[in-house]
Amino acid sequence: MSNSYILKRVAYGLILMLCVVVLNFLLIRLAPGDPAVVIAGEMGGATEEMLEQIREEYGLNKPILTQLAIYIGNVATGDLGESFFFNKPVAELISQRIGPTILLVIVAQILSIFLGVFLGVLAARKPNGVMSAFVSVFATIGYAVPVFWTGIMLIILFASVLPIFPVEGMQSVRLRDAPWYVQTIDVAHHLVLPAFTLAVIYLAQYARLSRASMLEVLGSDYIRTARAKGASERTVLFHHALRNAALPILTVAGLQFGNLISGALLVETVFNWPGMGRLAFDSILRRDYPTIMGVLFFASAMVVVANLLTDLSYRLADPRLRGRT
Amino acid sequence: MSALLQIENLQVTFNTRHGQVTALDSVSLSVNAGETLGVVGESGCGKSITALSVMGLIPMPPGRIAGGSIKLNGEELVGASDARLRGLRGSEVAMIFQEPMTSLNPVFSIGDQIAEAIMLHQNVSYDQAFKDAVALLDRVGIPSPDRRARDYPHQLSGGMRQRVMIAMAVSCRPKVLIADEPTTALDVTVQAQIFDLLNEIQRDFGAAIMLITHDMGAISEMADRVAVMYAGRVIEEASADQVLDTPQHPYARGLIDCIPALGKQETELREIPGVVPPLHMLGQGCAFKARCAHARPRCGTEKPLLRSHGAHPVACHGAEEGWL
Repeated sequence: MSNSYILKRVAYGLILMLCVVVLNFLLIRLAPGDPAVVIAGEMGGATEEMLEQIREEYGLNKPILTQLAIYIGNVATGDLGESFFFNKPVAELISQRIGPTILLVIVAQILSIFLGVFLGVLAARKPNGVMSAFVSVFATIGYAVPVFWTGIMLIILFASVLPIFPVEGMQSVRLRDAPWYVQTIDVAHHLVLPAFTLAVIYLAQYARLSRASMLEVLGSDYIRTARAKGASERTVLFHHALRNAALPILTVAGLQFGNLISGALLVETVFNWPGMGRLAFDSILRRDYPTIMGVLFFASAMVVVANLLTDLSYRLADPRLRGRT
Repeated sequence: MSALLQIENLQVTFNTRHGQVTALDSVSLSVNAGETLGVVGESGCGKSITALSVMGLIPMPPGRIAGGSIKLNGEELVGASDARLRGLRGSEVAMIFQEPMTSLNPVFSIGDQIAEAIMLHQNVSYDQAFKDAVALLDRVGIPSPDRRARDYPHQLSGGMRQRVMIAMAVSCRPKVLIADEPTTALDVTVQAQIFDLLNEIQRDFGAAIMLITHDMGAISEMADRVAVMYAGRVIEEASADQVLDTPQHPYARGLIDCIPALGKQETELREIPGVVPPLHMLGQGCAFKARCAHARPRCGTEKPLLRSHGAHPVACHGAEEGWL
């Protein structure tokens, strides 16, 4: 893979981010309502004079393009503005919450890909078998059921019937001062339900996709060649077939990452997970524009990075794509 | 002394939506060490199924070996364990396929794919296997093999890929090499090169070759003996010269008549009328009766058996009774 290709992709990513910033800014400004009124409302009512003062302070009386230029300049230097509600820099708010979100999203992504692909491969081995039927039914249910419902059902199950997993938060208060490994286990324990809830919908998709993809690959000539060499069935499945079947899975995994982040918003709300999703949800209710824009910015950045990584790994996995720009 | 590869009364059936069909019906063939047996016939006559049966690669289900025996060096392969068959595949019996464009795995380098075949059957390190793979690529006529070994299949032409397939097939010096229409997908000039290579490989490695083809030109160039197959049965078997010069069965005659001769003024290509009947519609009697110009009532009621009537074994009532 050439360095110029990577540089080109990174440049595309940056341009995309710039577009996201501009769009964010314009969309929020297009929404009805005057931010100055909202800020004043937070302060407890306002006179015309006070509103003027707020507009002056926040630069809201300048022409919109000037405001946009200032905003882009600020974002470029890492300044995402100040939250109307918390009166703290948005960057600080997000930096406190982005960790838990990344943890949740990545664990859910890994869980759904590995478990989904494994189920799909098992199903493809015997396309008319029990496992295959299970995967089809499970995939349909998993895809049809909304995450917040799955989450609530799991909460009911584990809060009252089978209390083995915590249903709320990320850490136990009483373990705040425990050694790091105890805390790690505690976080992992808290992570089980939210990660599984978030993974379920995608897990089902990956299972279906990899089943179909494996079935197609298993019928190809090079699989017959591998068997003719004397390769064992396991080698044929996991070495020869899966490497090829993984290519479409990889593509979808990259595309799904954005959906996963928006899914995380709901899951975090249901399980009270202290991540960006909760922050976004609360900020929307509070019309805390700088915070919403900051969250959108970081969510977009995560999607852009994920797509970049997908693109690069796709070229690593498929030699036919290497050397192309 | 028995032959290196001896197939006797092999019966292979498939479950299809038309019910159970017999893909191979009492097929008997044998190949000796260093010999090339040509197996000819139209598409769907059972040539490839015969080859896949020897490799133990018939998809089961829907396929089933319903009877008969396949002996390699005296060892029975029908009913042998999967592990044993895996041990033999690639090391004792190897196969070259018809489609070089799709028979190599697109995501592994060709050197890796040959090295894998070596490592599956020999206790050698990857480095050694890769070195052997490079030597094999050199042997099958791939230029600058140490560089090419790191190439992926999509970087090679069809002829090159078939050379790679041959290198992979002979990597463990198999006793029997099955070539299933190895040149059908290739240019005519490349076809000749591949046949030359197969002949050389046979000389070097002393392998028995079972060449499956519908190309009579390939037969005259390569084969010592020929078995003609039709609708899952062997209908004529003899030396290549006998089959090419004095074919007995009307189908074999038809196949040879179809070869356009150079220098002769012919206005149109000759063909055998009709197609191979679907296996579930064979019915009683000779499977060729509907397409045969010489068919008589007996052909519709009684299946002709492969018997010698003078020259060489043939399955035809007409040849037996002399009214062809």
